[in-house]
Amino acid sequence: MRYLTFALTKGRLADKTLERFEKIGITCEEMKDKSSRKLIFVNEEKKLKFFLAKGPDVPTYVEHGAADIGVSGKDIIMEENRHIYEVLDLGFGKCRMCICGFPDAAELLNHHEMIKVATKYPRIARDYFHNKKFQTVDIIKLNGSIELAPIVGLSDVICDIVETGSTLRENGLSVLEEVCPLSARMVVNQVSMRMEAERIREIINALREVEE
Amino acid sequence: MTNRLLHTPEGVRDIYGEELKRKNTLKEKLKALVSSYGYSEIETPTFEYFDVFLNDIGTTPSKEIYKFFDSENNTLALRPDFTPGAARAAAKYFLDDKLPVRLSYLGQTFTNSSELQGKLKEVTELGLEYMGDPSVDADAEMINLAVQVLILSGLTDFQLCIGNAEYFKGLCQYASLDAETIKDLTENIRNKNYFGTLDALNDVEISDEIRETLQSFPDFFGGAEVLSEAAEKVKDIPRSLDAVKRLQELYKKLEVYGVEKYLTFDLGMLSKHDYYTGIVFRAYTFGTGEAVIRGGRYDNLLKAFGKDKAAIGFTVVIDQLLLILNRQHIEDRESRKKSLVLYTPERFEAALKKARDLREEGTDTAMTLISDKKDMDGYREVLSRKDFDAVYFLSEGGEEVLS
Repeated sequence: MRYLTFALTKGRLADKTLERFEKIGITCEEMKDKSSRKLIFVNEEKKLKFFLAKGPDVPTYVEHGAADIGVSGKDIIMEENRHIYEVLDLGFGKCRMCICGFPDAAELLNHHEMIKVATKYPRIARDYFHNKKFQTVDIIKLNGSIELAPIVGLSDVICDIVETGSTLRENGLSVLEEVCPLSARMVVNQVSMRMEAERIREIINALREVEE
Repeated sequence: MTNRLLHTPEGVRDIYGEELKRKNTLKEKLKALVSSYGYSEIETPTFEYFDVFLNDIGTTPSKEIYKFFDSENNTLALRPDFTPGAARAAAKYFLDDKLPVRLSYLGQTFTNSSELQGKLKEVTELGLEYMGDPSVDADAEMINLAVQVLILSGLTDFQLCIGNAEYFKGLCQYASLDAETIKDLTENIRNKNYFGTLDALNDVEISDEIRETLQSFPDFFGGAEVLSEAAEKVKDIPRSLDAVKRLQELYKKLEVYGVEKYLTFDLGMLSKHDYYTGIVFRAYTFGTGEAVIRGGRYDNLLKAFGKDKAAIGFTVVIDQLLLILNRQHIEDRESRKKSLVLYTPERFEAALKKARDLREEGTDTAMTLISDKKDMDGYREVLSRKDFDAVYFLSEGGEEVLS
């Protein structure tokens, strides 16, 4: 039997994913050893392989078929926009993609005038403003601490993930509009979905049942 | 500056030596196969007016097409695929009489895809077009050929997956869904996103029966048995029912061809474009992350060129096929032997005879003059790399085989 390879997002998401997988009998003892320096973890009995990757790389591995199955956030899947099947909403890692800024910036979103948007997600931001709001925007790509941008006057608003909103509140910012809800998703390579249809469907169906 | 002269731009590459030989062998084999089914070759220009590849006609988004201007400021485009050009040519030269037309092409296509994703921007494509025959027999011939192309390449473990866009369109029409919902649904069904499909239908007013059918789309794939299940669900929707019946008929024909073991069906295989009008098919195998063959029926295409005729076709990217063969460790067994004859000046005649004999035996043979014995060191190094199956050295001392 061929190995089924899983690409998981490093960090909290991977832990939650493994927890969920455990419920349907997919385990990987090797991975629980946190001191291990291994890059690939194997479950020989079920012929499964796991590896951890940076979030935005998960869709890339899956698109190229280097991994059959991947788990990553919806934000990443939208931003990367790869040719992969998004088969399942795993329901954890819930948060929202929002447009945020100082309360008085809300007015700027009601018109079609050009505004500056700082974000880690240029594709999502552009799609939202261009195709949903029909507003022309100047997008500034940042790599972290996006909340800083409106405070120091780099941009009018930001487009970013909001979990609890406490960072925003502490800095006088608020959610102005919601772009879309986010959560962890399972993605599958197109070829694997056909060639390994039986095994992958079994996993999807089992996860669906746990879900419900 | 010198560095730039040595490198090729991102997305294009040199192909040479053994790799090119394998590529050409494969091309020749596939060309012979296609020609044996009565397809005649066509060569269309590498660039044409951009309008030929516009959205309704082609499937490549405008931003991925290489464009430039001629001296009269017309927009020209490097072909991103062959179909529009072949359709234009067929409409112009062949489609005036009643007989169907079978065309094949083999050549380079160009897409300006985004950088750093490990994708080639120039590839070699082989493709077939069968125009003027709307019958299920034409569908079957095309799909059989797709299977034969893969078998001849040496692949054994692959799937040819068939769908029919009409099934989904029939359902949407019956439920009178609006364009926005259809777009949303298409996206979710294409992605096999079960929960997304549920969400897309959340606020839509439709009967429970239709809702259930639309929801089960992500599950409508598998062997021929999914067809009867799918047919059962659309008993009262003629358009969708016809779509399933067409697939069932097609399956029967393909059983006669004897290729049924490679077939699967997927009614949720929807295209982003409105381009395909009937059956669609794709071939999948391990080695690359995407389909190796893509094809389908596009009966509206020829209308764009003033001829209202049916058309069906498929393309296969030769470079991708080679990559797959490589990754699946499938060797071309018929590859020719290669040898080298080295000789010192006075042995020229003997060397020539040796080379002739070897060539006659079917070995590709190159000859090189060794004027200085010291040059031999370089050749010994080549030998260790196994660039040649055998190297002969003819000198005063007689004939020596180095290998």
